[in-house]
Amino acid sequence: MFGLDFFKKKRSASVAKDRLTIAIMSDRKSSTNYPFMNEMKAEIIAVVQKYVGVKDIEINKDFDGDFEALSIDVTLEKNSR
Amino acid sequence: MGIVIAVISGKGGVGKTTATANIGLGIGLNDKKCVVVDFDIGQRNLDMILGLENRVVYDLVQVMEGEATLKQALIKSKMSENLYFLAASQTKDKSVLNSKKVEKLVAELKEKFDFIILDSPAGIESGFEHTIEFADAAIIVVNPEVSSIRDADRAIGILDSKSNKVKRGEDVAKYLIINRIVANMVESGEMLKSEDILEILDIKLLGKVPEDKGVIDASNQGKPIILDKKSIAGQAYTRISGRLCGQQIDLKDVEVADSTLFKKIVGIFK
Repeated sequence: MFGLDFFKKKRSASVAKDRLTIAIMSDRKSSTNYPFMNEMKAEIIAVVQKYVGVKDIEINKDFDGDFEALSIDVTLEKNSR
Repeated sequence: MGIVIAVISGKGGVGKTTATANIGLGIGLNDKKCVVVDFDIGQRNLDMILGLENRVVYDLVQVMEGEATLKQALIKSKMSENLYFLAASQTKDKSVLNSKKVEKLVAELKEKFDFIILDSPAGIESGFEHTIEFADAAIIVVNPEVSSIRDADRAIGILDSKSNKVKRGEDVAKYLIINRIVANMVESGEMLKSEDILEILDIKLLGKVPEDKGVIDASNQGKPIILDKKSIAGQAYTRISGRLCGQQIDLKDVEVADSTLFKKIVGIFK
C-alpha cells in the first residue's frame, strides 16, 4: 500500500515549476507600465513639440512571444504644420 | 572606484541580511575593502547579525542629514580589518531617504571602498527603490519555494526599470543566490531544482547555500556563519565571496545529499 501511494503522488517540485512559470508569465504581462513611463512621455512630447504641435501621446507596452515592444502613438494638432 | 551591489529579495525572511553579512565579511577576509550598509530604515538587523549592535553611535540617516560625518558613523568590524559597517536608523522611517542624499552617500563610499554592499528592505516600496537606484549590480536572494521566487521576479522587474544604470541604457548585472536548499528534498522531487529556478527567473547563478541549522546559532551570537569553517552554509558563503572577488570557483553541487547512509537505506528498498 505504501508503495502505491508513493508512486501515485506527483512530484511536487514539478507542480511548483509549472505553476510558477504560468504565474510569473502573467505577472510580467500585467505590468503594462514601466515606472519611468510618465517621464519618458513628457520627454517625447518635448522633442516632437519642437517640430510639430502635439495633441496627445499614447505609449503602450506590447508583447509578442519573447519580445517586448513599446508602441508610441503621437496625435498631432490639427493644421499643426 | 568601488562597485555597488544591492542585495534584494522581494519577499522577506529568505536570508537577505544573513547573506549580506556573510558576503561582506567574506570579501573582507579576501583582503578587499568592503562596507556593508543597512538600508532597512526603521527595522535594522544587520548590526545584530554582525555582532555590532552595541557599537552603533551614528546611523546613515544622520550622515545624510549632515548630523554626523561618514567617518564617525562607519564601524570597523573586529572580525576583519577590511570590513566596515554603516547602520540603518531605527527611529525614523523609510520616507527620510531621497535620491540626491542616497547618491551623495554612495558616491562618498565608492571612493573609500572596493565593495559597497547595500542590504535592501523587503518589499518593492521606496526603500527598496533607493537601494537599487545607484547599484552597479544586484544579488537576488531566493529560497527554493514558490512565493519567494515569484516575489523575486517582481523585484527584478523593478530593478530592470528603475535603476539609474538601466535608465542610462546600461545593464545592471544580476546574480542569484539560492538559499536554504535541502538536498534530500531536491533529490526526492519535493523541492525545486536550481536549474528550474534559473530557467524561470532567467538569471545567472552566483551560488547555492544549503539549509544549515548553524545559521541561527551564528546569528544568536552575532558571528556570521562564514567564520565556521565546518559549516556547509559557511563554506557556501566562502565560495560566493571568492567568486565576487574574481576567483574561479566551481559551483559545488549542494543539491546532492552527502549521506552515503541515506543511499544505503534507500538501496535496501530497491
